[in-house]
Amino acid sequence: MGNLKQAMRKEMWYLLFILPGICLFVMAVVIPLIMGARYSFTNWDGVSNTFASIGWDNYVQAFQDPGFWEALWNTFKYALILTILVNVISLLLALVLDSFLPFRNIFRTIFFLPSVISIVLSGFIWSYNYSTGIPTLLSHLGLDVTSPLGNPDYALFGLILVALWQGVGAPMIIYIAGLQGIPNELHESAKIDGAGSGKAFWYITLPLLAPSVTINLLLVLTGSLKVFDLVYVTTKGGPGFSTEVVSTYIYRTSFSSFKGGYGMALSMMFFLILVVVTVVQMSISRRREVEM
Amino acid sequence: MKKLMPLGLCVLLFSLVLSACGGNNEKPAANGNTNAAVTNAPANTATEEPVTIKFMHFKSDFTDQIAKIVEQFETENPNIKVEVQPVKYDDYYTLLKTKLAGGDVIDVFTLNAGFNTQLFADGGYLADLTGQPFLNNFDDNVVKGQATNGKNYIMPLNANPIAVFYNKKIFKDLGLEVPRTYDAMIAAAEKIKAAGKTPFALGWKDGWTLTMWNTRDMPSISALVDGQPDFFEKIETGAAKFADNPAVRTTIEHAQQMFELGNKDQLGVDYNGVVDLFAKGNVGMMYMGTWPLPDIEKKNPDLYNNDLGYFPYPFSNDESLNNLDFNADASLAIGSNTKHKEAAIKFLDYMSSKEGGDAWVENIKSLSYVKGTSTDIAPAIKDLQPYFDNGQTYDSQLYLAKTTIDWRAQFDQNLQNLFFKKTTPDKIIADMDAWLSKNHK
Repeated sequence: MGNLKQAMRKEMWYLLFILPGICLFVMAVVIPLIMGARYSFTNWDGVSNTFASIGWDNYVQAFQDPGFWEALWNTFKYALILTILVNVISLLLALVLDSFLPFRNIFRTIFFLPSVISIVLSGFIWSYNYSTGIPTLLSHLGLDVTSPLGNPDYALFGLILVALWQGVGAPMIIYIAGLQGIPNELHESAKIDGAGSGKAFWYITLPLLAPSVTINLLLVLTGSLKVFDLVYVTTKGGPGFSTEVVSTYIYRTSFSSFKGGYGMALSMMFFLILVVVTVVQMSISRRREVEM
Repeated sequence: MKKLMPLGLCVLLFSLVLSACGGNNEKPAANGNTNAAVTNAPANTATEEPVTIKFMHFKSDFTDQIAKIVEQFETENPNIKVEVQPVKYDDYYTLLKTKLAGGDVIDVFTLNAGFNTQLFADGGYLADLTGQPFLNNFDDNVVKGQATNGKNYIMPLNANPIAVFYNKKIFKDLGLEVPRTYDAMIAAAEKIKAAGKTPFALGWKDGWTLTMWNTRDMPSISALVDGQPDFFEKIETGAAKFADNPAVRTTIEHAQQMFELGNKDQLGVDYNGVVDLFAKGNVGMMYMGTWPLPDIEKKNPDLYNNDLGYFPYPFSNDESLNNLDFNADASLAIGSNTKHKEAAIKFLDYMSSKEGGDAWVENIKSLSYVKGTSTDIAPAIKDLQPYFDNGQTYDSQLYLAKTTIDWRAQFDQNLQNLFFKKTTPDKIIADMDAWLSKNHK
């Protein structure tokens, strides 16, 4: 008994160290979340000091709001395409850059570099590239192109390309680390058993890389579902609602249409959707992981 | 004992931090005491204590120039320091709203007369300026025009004509007259297109460039052609519908025509891009306020000095209606929670003096509302002088002044869909009315 008490005392001491973290988390996340939840049941306009409680009206309205569902559809389209592309491309890059390639450190740096600059900056760079840089370049080859961001049919893909350019760096690093954790003996013995590189990849590399796949899918998917800054600085949801994602829709509702309460209700719904997506995805990919 | 050491250190550090804060708090109190002690002697030392006021403005394109004006003010009032915070216009009102709702003190900030001022006045964030002597430096009509519910919460500052820049050389080469009606402008644009040049520089990638045009075209037509000056007042409460106003359809048609006669990649090029394009001299016309003037001067002084013309935007086919749209730009407000009201009023005093007004004209290249200030900002502005002299100006924004719901963003996005044939004018009007039924007050 005394032993346990002593152990408790020892452990309690470590708890003290997470206190600042918990304090920050509570102040920056939990308290605003609770306050937001409270506002979502009011008709607050976002500015005035007076508002009234209106029960579940905001949530009822949200379910009947075609703008919200369209934004949700755009968000998932963006997030799913981006998640698949980022993971495929960063895995391919990792495979190439993990092999014995000359200058591989230089290449790793080059592919990682776009992740270093801020999203806002890359949004501006690419707006310029799309509208001026690339058309001018291609006009020398006699091609006449216009910015995809100015056309509702291509704007979302234009954004995906920017996010892809910037997003492959970090997952690539995780994949490289994962690849380096796979013992070489496995590959050697597979080779002796007559497995080709395709089979070795499918039966050895991929299963052992599954933890990296899980974390990368999760990070990219949740990150891209919450996309705001990139859309806001490049297209603001336009042209013609084609890049309106949930976060820009919420922003527009709360701040331009002065419906703070309704915006909060939309945020709460989006929060729940994100939680569900994360839980489902975690449980699916965890199943594929193999213990070493 | 050893374990208690770090804990003790933490406590010590924490108390140090706290005491540092406390120390700061004590300082002004101590100052107050000494001041109180010497009040019998020179009384004005108490008021001359240096203060810092915060000034937030949305003219971020003119950050340096405004800093220069503020510097002038500071040299005249050595006891007042001004902390200037420029914010990009697109984000300005969001930031201002967040700051004020969060209880931040901003002593002086810019506002647009009309619904924005209304909103902040209703929220109780603005100090009442009614009857302040500096308002006498302005024309009575202007002061009255910018009043909210009969009270003055803002001081008028500068105003801009919003009109159409045109390239005189292109017009002369093609034998074109300055168009005075909408049809004449489109006919001229088609001739420019036929000559292989760009008729309109649009830059509609930026939200505000398209919004700026359609929130002037539509109210002007609605009020002056179709006789519905209170249309936007009515949609605020849902008393009117977009389907009932023929001006909506006209504006949609105008938008489509301008889009087709615009530069390449109309929704992909932004404001800076079109100013560039226009300055290169291959574009016939550009609908804009006076703010690109310094840019054009820098990029193509020859065009700026010799070939740049400016004509009122002809929204209708009735020449007598197509007056010059002259809009208030920035106005100044004082935050109701300011602790340095005297210093803030001194700041407004300076900005409303002839010196301050001239400083705005000279640096910002815009016209000042202060009586007696100069209007000589660019050669192109001379083209507008007859309209000022004959009183042929109007303010299209007054028709929007009482509307706080944001129909603009919805309308813009619908127009963008129309440009790519994803919707029809009928569908736009139906969508706007559906939106209105959910969003009116």
